[in-house]
Parts: sequence; C-alpha cells; structure tokens
Amino acid sequence: MLRISGYFISLLLISFCSLKTVQAQDTIQFPLKIRGGLELSGPAIYLSDKNIMSYEGYVSGDINEKVSAVFAAGYLNRKYSQSDIDNNYEYLTSGMFFRTGLDFNLVNPKKSMGRYWAGIGLRYGVSVFSSENPSIKKENYWGISAMSVAPQTKWGHFLEVSPGARAEIFKNVSIGWNISIRRLLYNGAGDDLRPVYLPGFGNGTKKFSSGVAYYIVWNIPYKKIRVITKVEEPETSDETDGTGTTGSGQNSPGMVQKPINNR
Amino acid sequence: MKNRFYRYILKMFLFIAIVQLFSCSPKACYEDTESLLKANFYGYSTLKTAAPDSVTMYGLSMESDKLYNKTANLQPARIPLNASSPKCTYIIRINGVTDTIQLWYSSYPHLISKECGYAFFHNLDSLTYTKNKIDSISKSNSNITTINVENIRIFY
Repeated sequence: MLRISGYFISLLLISFCSLKTVQAQDTIQFPLKIRGGLELSGPAIYLSDKNIMSYEGYVSGDINEKVSAVFAAGYLNRKYSQSDIDNNYEYLTSGMFFRTGLDFNLVNPKKSMGRYWAGIGLRYGVSVFSSENPSIKKENYWGISAMSVAPQTKWGHFLEVSPGARAEIFKNVSIGWNISIRRLLYNGAGDDLRPVYLPGFGNGTKKFSSGVAYYIVWNIPYKKIRVITKVEEPETSDETDGTGTTGSGQNSPGMVQKPINNR
Repeated sequence: MKNRFYRYILKMFLFIAIVQLFSCSPKACYEDTESLLKANFYGYSTLKTAAPDSVTMYGLSMESDKLYNKTANLQPARIPLNASSPKCTYIIRINGVTDTIQLWYSSYPHLISKECGYAFFHNLDSLTYTKNKIDSISKSNSNITTINVENIRIFY
C-alpha cells in the first residue's frame, strides 16, 4: 500500500513538473466558433435551370482548434427528361438530405486563428426522397411501348470525403469551397429502379459521385481556448533544461509549432 | 499568409468552376438497352446446337416487316417482345416449314444508366407452339434482359 502511495505521489510530482514546463512554452488564445453556412451554387444553378432546385445549409461547431462537428441539411427538387427516339423518359425526384461528420483543419492554429481553414471533412449522409417516372417510352420491333412508375418514398445512405478551404473576408464572415467525393452505400430503390438523382448524392446510378459546393459562412465566436505550441527539440542541441524545449515563443528555422494541449 | 491564402482560394474557385462546367456536358450511351429473348436452335435427334439452313420470322400480322428473312446459320435468334402486351405471337419458318410460337410474360422497367435510360426487362411465364417443324421448346432462363444468356431452346 505504501509502495502504491509512493508511486502515486511520484506521478503527481512528475505531472506537476511537466505542467510547469509546458506553461513556460508559447501559447495563443484561439477562438472557437459556431458557424452557419449557406451553399451558393444551388440557387445560382436554379436561376439558369428551373428543373434543378437545390438548397443546402450547415451548422458547425469547433470542438478544438483542429476539429469541428458539422451538421448539414438540404432539399433537392429535380426534373430530368431525355427525348431520344428510341429512349425517352422522364424522372422526377424531390427530397431532403442530411450530412453529419467532422471537419479537420490542417492549417497551423497559430496561422489559422479561426479565420483560415484548409482541410478535409468526413461525412455520413442520408437522403429521404420521393421519385417517380411519369413516362418511360421505348421503341422496338413491335412499335412504341410505354410504362410509368408511381411515386415512392425511399431512403439512401452515403459517405463523403470533402477537402476544401475557407477564409474570413470580413469580420465573422467567410467564403469557401469544398470538393466532395461520395460513395453510395445504399440507394434505397433496388437494382431495377436505381435513382437517377439521389438528393445530396447526385447520380444514383453510380457507386461514386463528386461535386463542388461554394459557401458563405457566418462565424460566431463562443469561447477562447489557450493553445500551447511546442517548439521541437533540435536533434543536436544541448540539454539545457531537461525537457528539450526552449520556451522562447519565437519561430526559428528548424523549429515547428505544434499544438500539444488546449483549454 | 492572408494574401497568399486569398489567392489560393480564388484560383481554386476558378479551377473548380471550369472543371464543373465541362463535367456537366451530356455523355453518350454505350450500353445495350434492348432486352431480347435469345433462342438457340438444337437438333432434336442429336440434342446439340444446330443452326437451320434458313429461318424466316415475323410477328403475327406483321408479315411485311420480317425480323429474319431466310437467314442462314442463325444462332441464336434474338427476339424482341412487346412490353405493352402480356403476350406476343411469332410466325417462324424453319427450312421452309411454318410454325407459330406464342410467348406469355410480364414486363418491368430497368434503369441501365442515366445516359442510356431504361430497358424493359421481361419474365417469361409460359409459351405454346405448333409442331410442324418444331419438336419441342424448353425454357433455359426466364429472365429476359440485355445480358447475352440463352432463354429458350428450340428443338427441330
């Protein structure tokens, strides 16, 4: 029992000493933010093509200086038709889609300071949609045959990886873009009537889809955290303080800013 | 840092917009979109595939529009079905002897791709035939799709 207490006290002492050492290093006050963003290309496309109506917005909250939690929701209403002589069909789809996941900022916190974001997002997406075929016509030896498919509500699921960038242009207002690469998990409609368009995913006849989104974002700072940056020990330096850190707070060649703690 | 980042954002905006513009151009269809019943001919005595010397085939009341007209070495015969009807009837003349085949089926749409649109697939339920030249017909695969798989065997 005495031995365990001894170890415990030693651990506390070591931790205390480490803490004192860390406090001697560089620190920055990093603003954590809640964001609300609107996707811009959907309404812009609708102005030129009334058959595609798409709206999307998202909210995100910084968990720390590197990671944000994201929830996005949107609505798509799309009419598509093809009028080849031997292949003629109409397809209508409308529905909501939701994405949730995390954004990872790869910019050094000391440089980003909550104003710049360049990184990658990982999302899980769900689409709840209704689709129908008012008419499908095909021509063969027997002439023209026609069929229709009544509206049906379906659920689709997909994963998304979305690298992108965002920068603050005015105080608390940012613009940015994302490239999205999506993998369909389940189209909700079986093999015969795969969705021509899956809201939030795109072309539901393929396993993969890609897209680009442009955002305008409103940022609301809600908390500041202290991010401690560590200067890496040069490999050939002399051990002056036993921790390998200089505590100078200055960037110098061969030294890298590295967040090691927060809050 | 600030200016560099803005320049980077602007360049990527333009680059992606241009790529997106080109990716929106319509694509052509390179896939088979017609589902056809595939019928192979067999010799009834040998039970081996045997293409007739001459096959003429047309739909009932469509003699002027022949599907095959005295075609030699036909193997398999690719026969379109009428998706607007649950049955269709073909007149078939094998080596100059005429028979009638009636096919009963159900049809449903199947999406090939966004560009190619839909094909009408069929499930073959039953068939009847006369026996002037034909000895028998057997079903090999009831699913009539765009895949090149034998659906029926015609023994003559």
